[in-house]
Amino acid sequence: MEKRGRRSFLEIITAFIGGIISLAAGIPLIGFAISPAFKKAESKWVDLGLADRLKNSRFKKVDYTFTAKDGWVQATKKRSVYVTDVGNGEWSVFSRICSHLGCLVRWDEKQESFLCPCHGAIFDKTGAVIAGPPPEPLQKLETKVEAGILYVKET
Amino acid sequence: MRQFLNERLPLTEFSAHLRKPLPKHINLLFSLGSLAMFLLILQAVTGAFLAFYYSPSPEHAHNAVTYISTEVPFGAFVRGLHHWGASAMVIIVVLHLLRVVLYSSYKAPRELTWIFGVLLLLVVLGFGFTGYLLPWDEKAYWATVVGVEIASTAPGLGDFVAKVMRGGTEIGAVTLSRFYALHTIWLPWLAFGLVGVHLFFVRYYGSSGKPENTPEEMKTGKPFYPDQVFEDVVGMLILFVALAAGALFMPVPLEDVADPTNADYDPRPEWYFLFLFQLLKYFQGPFEILGTFVIPTVGMLLLLFLPFLDRSERTVLWKRPIALTVTSLCVVGIVALTILGGTSKKLETTDVAVQETTQPTEQIQGAATPETEQVDEGEAVFDFQLTEEEIENAVEVEEEQQ
Repeated sequence: MEKRGRRSFLEIITAFIGGIISLAAGIPLIGFAISPAFKKAESKWVDLGLADRLKNSRFKKVDYTFTAKDGWVQATKKRSVYVTDVGNGEWSVFSRICSHLGCLVRWDEKQESFLCPCHGAIFDKTGAVIAGPPPEPLQKLETKVEAGILYVKET
Repeated sequence: MRQFLNERLPLTEFSAHLRKPLPKHINLLFSLGSLAMFLLILQAVTGAFLAFYYSPSPEHAHNAVTYISTEVPFGAFVRGLHHWGASAMVIIVVLHLLRVVLYSSYKAPRELTWIFGVLLLLVVLGFGFTGYLLPWDEKAYWATVVGVEIASTAPGLGDFVAKVMRGGTEIGAVTLSRFYALHTIWLPWLAFGLVGVHLFFVRYYGSSGKPENTPEEMKTGKPFYPDQVFEDVVGMLILFVALAAGALFMPVPLEDVADPTNADYDPRPEWYFLFLFQLLKYFQGPFEILGTFVIPTVGMLLLLFLPFLDRSERTVLWKRPIALTVTSLCVVGIVALTILGGTSKKLETTDVAVQETTQPTEQIQGAATPETEQVDEGEAVFDFQLTEEEIENAVEVEEEQQ
């Protein structure tokens, strides 16, 4: 009986030590793996070009690049947006990334809408959802004009 | 839940198997195998996590390791556990092997257990060799250069083997890629396969116990679970605390990025290959092959087939004078060579600062003056390379002269 009690005690202590080792190794390992999820995205102003050249009452597709840290690499990132000036020095710059699942939307002049080629999403010229599954409007980027150059805020 | 599992799995039989009694008088040395298993799992887990941030290409590898060590939360700790775990693995596996020799546990009917154990030792050394190229620093590069050159001295197929190892004629992107594949895919599969077979034999033949155990004593010791497992787990905790302390207080070194032109670097392998590194110094000229190929190969073959060479009756090492002498000489020899290799002086050269710049390109009219860069150490480095424009100019001038 006494031996059985000792064995049960050993079983508990063994499981306890095993748990301690698993936690002591597991917590740093999981922290190591999931840490990018807690990293704050850096935002920066990126120039799109001379505002005068971009002035257009219709949407213009603009591709641009900028450098940003990607892990251990200083990478050149490519982005694509639709730009239009809405008058009074105000600009509308929409990300082409569909708010549904990330496909790139296209501006359709006839329908005056942004169309997504993946799941049939349609956004109006203010970026609001007209049809399809997206839960949110198109992302509108923050803009500023300095020294005649149009900048967008990249995050 | 227990009932559900009991109805579907042979848990009762499994539990009875785990509680089977071990031989009497088993001591702490019999936990070394479990510790080796623990380290293999720890290496596999930490390695799998490190792979999240690693990229096996010469352009990225060093930066990725720097990123892991300096920017990723817990990165230095995880890399430290993996690095010091590798060293601990070699120590524990060798101690495990010595325990088996001490009690002559390799003798019949456990010859196969021994052979698979020696194969596992080779896999562990393979992990070490393929692993330390991955940070792509000076040590990684030069230790691999020397290691592959050693393989190339093997008679007949040496050159072919070296080319296969490098993936070409020199160490570069293909080498790093295949060492990474070997380290993270091929060797782990091989290791876990060999461990599976090794463990099967250990359970099938049972623990060897001590040579003095009577047949009755072989079946009347403490049960494997929980008694032996408890001791094993305490050993694992001590080992883990030691590795964690190493990871926290002894940062893993990372040298400058690999530079194939850096003649100032003194290549040194990891400590567990230092004995071989030192041994090679004693065999010169036509005898080089003795150190690079004959002694390591014969040594390994002798070790592998030890159970068939030593047919004497099973007893402890100190009652076997020949085995005791050979084992002692091997251990002392390897330790002495390791110490000599580790403490050997690095090459000291007198830098000759070349002041006068010879410029062979001066003969080419129109070629620009070559750039000369002075390095800190005093030795001059000349860069006579021409730009495409300069080469075009030189060709034009030559054509005009003709």
